[in-house]
Amino acid sequence: MEDVHYVQTAAAKASARKKFNWYFWGTLFILPEIILFFIFLWVPILKGIFYSFYNIDFVDGNHFTGLDNYISIFQGELLLTSIKNTLYYMLLGVVLGFWIPPLVAIAVTELKWFQGAARIIGYLPSAVPAIVLYGMWMWFFDAVGPINSFLQTIGLQPIEFFSPHMSMISIVILETWQSFGAATLIYIAAIVSIPRELYEAAEIDGASVWQRIRHITLPSIRTLMLLLLLLQLITTSQGFQAQLSMTDGGPNNATLTYLLWMNHTAFRDLNFGKASAMGSLMFFVLILLSIVYNLLQRRSEKA
Amino acid sequence: MKPSERGILSSYDLKKGTVITGYTIMVLLMICMTLTILYPFFNTFFSSLKTREEFFAFPPTFFPKEWIWKNYEDAWTQFDLPLLTFLKNTIFIYLGNVVFSLMFIGLAAFALSHLRLPLKKWVTLYFFSTLLIPPATYIVPNFLNLKSLGLINTYWAFWLPAAANAYFMLLLKNFFDGIHKEILEAARIDGASEFISYMRIAVPLSTPIIGTLLMLAFSTTWNDFYWPNIVMADKSMYPLATGIYRYVVYPTSVIPWSVRFAVLTMAMLPPVIFFLTFQRFIVRGLSASSVKG
Repeated sequence: MEDVHYVQTAAAKASARKKFNWYFWGTLFILPEIILFFIFLWVPILKGIFYSFYNIDFVDGNHFTGLDNYISIFQGELLLTSIKNTLYYMLLGVVLGFWIPPLVAIAVTELKWFQGAARIIGYLPSAVPAIVLYGMWMWFFDAVGPINSFLQTIGLQPIEFFSPHMSMISIVILETWQSFGAATLIYIAAIVSIPRELYEAAEIDGASVWQRIRHITLPSIRTLMLLLLLLQLITTSQGFQAQLSMTDGGPNNATLTYLLWMNHTAFRDLNFGKASAMGSLMFFVLILLSIVYNLLQRRSEKA
Repeated sequence: MKPSERGILSSYDLKKGTVITGYTIMVLLMICMTLTILYPFFNTFFSSLKTREEFFAFPPTFFPKEWIWKNYEDAWTQFDLPLLTFLKNTIFIYLGNVVFSLMFIGLAAFALSHLRLPLKKWVTLYFFSTLLIPPATYIVPNFLNLKSLGLINTYWAFWLPAAANAYFMLLLKNFFDGIHKEILEAARIDGASEFISYMRIAVPLSTPIIGTLLMLAFSTTWNDFYWPNIVMADKSMYPLATGIYRYVVYPTSVIPWSVRFAVLTMAMLPPVIFFLTFQRFIVRGLSASSVKG
């Protein structure tokens, strides 16, 4: 009986040692990352929801305040203004910016010379720090800046780029200029991988150039366009840095996006509890969008 | 003409009048676009060399009448801008970010890809589900978290969180997945420990993806102005982008435009050179980050 018991524990020990060896290196390699992800990603993410029910005070400590933070978000006009501004910003991004990269990509792939140069130049604005671009464009949009000087030279009215009506449009123009190159490179990669034989066959069948673009090129990049559209919407819904550094939400809150408002609440008004609640609200809305995006991406990878 | 050499247009198309007209218009538009992209850069550079009067001249000049390099000297000396400190901080943050992220993320990605792990599915989910969560929504608790850890106003506030990057992990893991098991198996049979086979086999084989990651990390660090502005409290700790944001381009800045542009020119020069040198990696990084079309 004892022998059997002994044999069993020995076997258990051996299998435990084997299990230990089996998993040792993998666990050792992955443990630091598990800890780092926990401390610097999961804790903040979860704490955000926790903090949203508290009044954060660095001196007197935090107090549980129930839904007060959420209620105060819905009081006043800023919520409506900032959501309207954010949606307007997202819409402008699509109207002014979204359609440019695919067209440029089609044009660049048809260039006989300087294709490489065109790609590099197009990407150049994405390589330069955003803050430098904001500094540059503050001058270009200035009342006496180059654009207005040019307009006056050819006899047109100067544009007030930072008026309440124009300021968001100005910011979107700048951001389109800044980021279309990167998107163009992605489209180029997709367009180049379309089999040339399709165009050959279409041409033999008498399809015009426009028909080839319409029925071969565009359908081949349709999924990609949808993905990039979603990606752009997700990105622009979180936009606030251009607004922060160029107009700081002004004039008259015309460029106050939701996240800019959140950042003002946290780091200017030092109301961290309310800001956490605003982040949590945003979180639930964006999570929905992210899930849709990932489902689509998975579908396109299968295809 | 072989099909592989044609695009949407064939050489035959280019003999038709309407196509030639359309193509010419397209080329002209592309040239306009190129000029639109390049103009702001050159304008910034040349304006940084103008006198303060010429800067506002009407009609505006493109090339400066005289090249006033003194604007650059002023940028360094006149306005209490510790540009060298800012630059040093940026590089310091970048190096720390790279060391911490590549060291820890590399090991973890290797484990996910080639080693045996308990609850592998759950561990993978634990890492990659963070990709779904938009970072902007936890800026505030992230700050509070760093504050409660006592990391505010230290570089650890960048270095340690830099290692919690699921996106880099995904790129590395995808690359490691492409390394054949047989190579690692052979190393194991020859008695190499997993760490040795990681260092001597996986890492050397991964130089392209590591190059891409170095690039991505560089542009992130060089670009980020908002987060350091929150996390750092002293002027002497700010990286360059934050220094420019706080002391150079803020809306009511008192620094003359030409000097401001001198600072901006200097700030964009390193990334532009970096980009032109390593553009191969960037393009690869972009297509790695995008979907297959």
